[in-house]
Amino acid sequence: MFDPSTASWAERLQSTPGPLTLEWALLLALAALAGHLVQRFSGLPKIVGYAVFGTLIGLAGFAGAAWPLHGVGLYLLELGIAVVLFEAGARLSLRWFRHNPMVLVQSLVEALLTFAVAFVLLRALGLDVPVARALAVVSVAASPAVLMRVVSDLRASGPVTDRAIALATLNTLYALTAGTAMLRSIDRGDASLMASLASSAAVLGISLLVGGLLAALLIGAFKLLHPTSQDTAIVILALLGACTAVTTPLGGSAPLATLLAGIVLKQLHPRPWVWPRQLGTAAAMLNVLMFVLVSSMAAQADWGGVITWAALALIAARMSAKLASLLLTGPASGLSLRQSLWVGVALLPMSSVALLLTSQFVVASHGIGARVAAIALPVILITELLGAVLVGLALTRARETVKPWRGADSSGGDSPPGSLT
Amino acid sequence: MTLESFGQSAALTLGVELELQLVNTNDYDLAHYADDMLRLMARHQLPGSVVPEMTAGMIEISTGVCETSQQALAELSRIRDALVQCADKLNIAVVGGGTHPFQQWHQQRIYDKPRFHELSALYGYLTKQFTIFGQHVHVGCPDADTALYTLHCMSRYIPHFIALAASSPYVQGQDTAFDSARLNSVFAFPLSGRAPCVLTWDEFGAYFDKMTRTGVVKSMKDFYWDIRPKPEYGTIEVRVFDTPLTVERAAALAGLVQSLAAWFQQERPFAPVEDDYLVYGYNRFQACRFGLDAVYVDPVGGEHLPLRDHLLSTMERLQPFATACQATDALALLRKDVLDNRNDARWLRERQAKERLLGEVIRQAAQRFRGRDA
Repeated sequence: MFDPSTASWAERLQSTPGPLTLEWALLLALAALAGHLVQRFSGLPKIVGYAVFGTLIGLAGFAGAAWPLHGVGLYLLELGIAVVLFEAGARLSLRWFRHNPMVLVQSLVEALLTFAVAFVLLRALGLDVPVARALAVVSVAASPAVLMRVVSDLRASGPVTDRAIALATLNTLYALTAGTAMLRSIDRGDASLMASLASSAAVLGISLLVGGLLAALLIGAFKLLHPTSQDTAIVILALLGACTAVTTPLGGSAPLATLLAGIVLKQLHPRPWVWPRQLGTAAAMLNVLMFVLVSSMAAQADWGGVITWAALALIAARMSAKLASLLLTGPASGLSLRQSLWVGVALLPMSSVALLLTSQFVVASHGIGARVAAIALPVILITELLGAVLVGLALTRARETVKPWRGADSSGGDSPPGSLT
Repeated sequence: MTLESFGQSAALTLGVELELQLVNTNDYDLAHYADDMLRLMARHQLPGSVVPEMTAGMIEISTGVCETSQQALAELSRIRDALVQCADKLNIAVVGGGTHPFQQWHQQRIYDKPRFHELSALYGYLTKQFTIFGQHVHVGCPDADTALYTLHCMSRYIPHFIALAASSPYVQGQDTAFDSARLNSVFAFPLSGRAPCVLTWDEFGAYFDKMTRTGVVKSMKDFYWDIRPKPEYGTIEVRVFDTPLTVERAAALAGLVQSLAAWFQQERPFAPVEDDYLVYGYNRFQACRFGLDAVYVDPVGGEHLPLRDHLLSTMERLQPFATACQATDALALLRKDVLDNRNDARWLRERQAKERLLGEVIRQAAQRFRGRDA
């Protein structure tokens, strides 16, 4: 029997953003619920819930976005990263490096050692130079997004928290610069060192230009608006959106541009950073979307035997490199050995930035990109799932999370991460 | 436990303790960096000491035994410079002030040390609300009875001290309308207030024995009095000061305490009696609430007069003693502020009126603490 009301409903749906939007809206709501339940019943950070949920829908083939990322999916991922990196950049004070240059040395050692160890391992596993190089660059990036999300879930603060965020921000800066530059030369075979440096400088320059403009616009806006008002939050979010839309077509990297904008802003406008609380819900929603997107995409990886082993080896090598460099440079930079260890653990997750770079490699050269993705996707998935738990563990063991009221017992660091009221 | 005997100290020597705030440089909230600061500070050769305090966003510095307030200033400046250097290395800042203007008490973490956890278990949220920052000034007394005499004379000047040092107008993000809201947190403790009006160490010992027999106190540490004898050092300790925003002001306040003690010990101008304390609570409240605009009630005659006038006449009276103690500069600094009707609470309020952002006020206060005017 013909039912006109159904027909017209389906027709009307055609003229809206469509079923894909409906699917994502519902997935997002379920992810938020999953995050809440995970934290409520296990005490783990919420993003473990988002990631697990994303993985399940990815494995079930539900994820609406197509691989490699493009269109709205790509834009939302870039915007999510842009917002996080802007905030991370705005915490990075160049003045600090002047007073404590060892932090910068620490960051460079950490990034270079990670790159070198990953590259040597992947070559030893028989991968071609361009693939090994791309994967090594992807390995350098830790995840400021995971870190900052866990920090906010567990309300962590302290030296380990601050140092981990600073180092993650810096290695993301390096990875985005080198990675985006590498995309340009990927199909030209083995590009010379000079060519890659020039290419990196170009990416960095264009991104800095856009980032500088963004910072200037924001400083202008702050002259008129009160920093804690909702209007300010809207202006920031809107300008970050605009920046994300224009930078990549101009030849820069959108996440890199907002990261640099944050850094420039912090230097030119030293007033305290108070916006995140206002950016609150909007940024959090982008965040959830980003984590679901990352794990659902990464879950579509092909889990062959050899590839799984290669992925696990890469994770182990990457973690050893990060831990070793931290333990080596920690004490001279003002951290204790114990703190250095926990900072190293907190640098394990790699998620959104790594996924973005991987996706861009696939677009730039299908041949090389597919081989990069084959190993990168399982690594991203495992480190995102494990990473959030490890970050929570690191921050709790470093005694930097707010714990529920505890009485006379001082057996502190042994409660599960995030056992909050 | 009986009361220990009163230790030896040279009359009128000084010691200054300052509780300071550690804040991050992103939003200028309290930062839990006490351990890291202690670790880095241990590498510096400094006079006095640096120790942890109740919550992990606090640190306490103290001078050694000083002859003059100038010497105290020199020591405090050296420790301050080292603190600033270590803080820069950790990307945090050190700030004075009696309260952190917007910290949330429930987010503070009790510093990991058994005594602090015991206190925390006993006092509950009061401990975390005790995230407040004061200055203590020790002044040396030749013997125990002189110490008690000096203490009770000094009690008359508690309102003066409070008004001059007040630097805690903001609590939990709100203007409390008090110049020193910090002391309201101290009042919440059962053993706060004033020492009993006894003038000999024997009588004091008898009081202490009665109190220990009740099981309420175990040692002198359990009394949170505004001024208390410190038998182990042979000093009395004035505890009502908010931590000022600069070490210069902290040293100047020590110079004032020293000049007063010199006056009391050399001229014995008053005969302290219990009735002096009839107006104590009122005067103290006036000073906390109104700062330099407070009304002062003379404990003997009962006249009401502006605290500012009484401060100026007191400073006049102290001139010869200040000269002898080399504290004329200290008194001149404080006198100028009284004439201008300025204290740190006023400075904080002016900055907030201009910036409308407490985090920015703290950033500028941190610049001031460095010795650089914002």
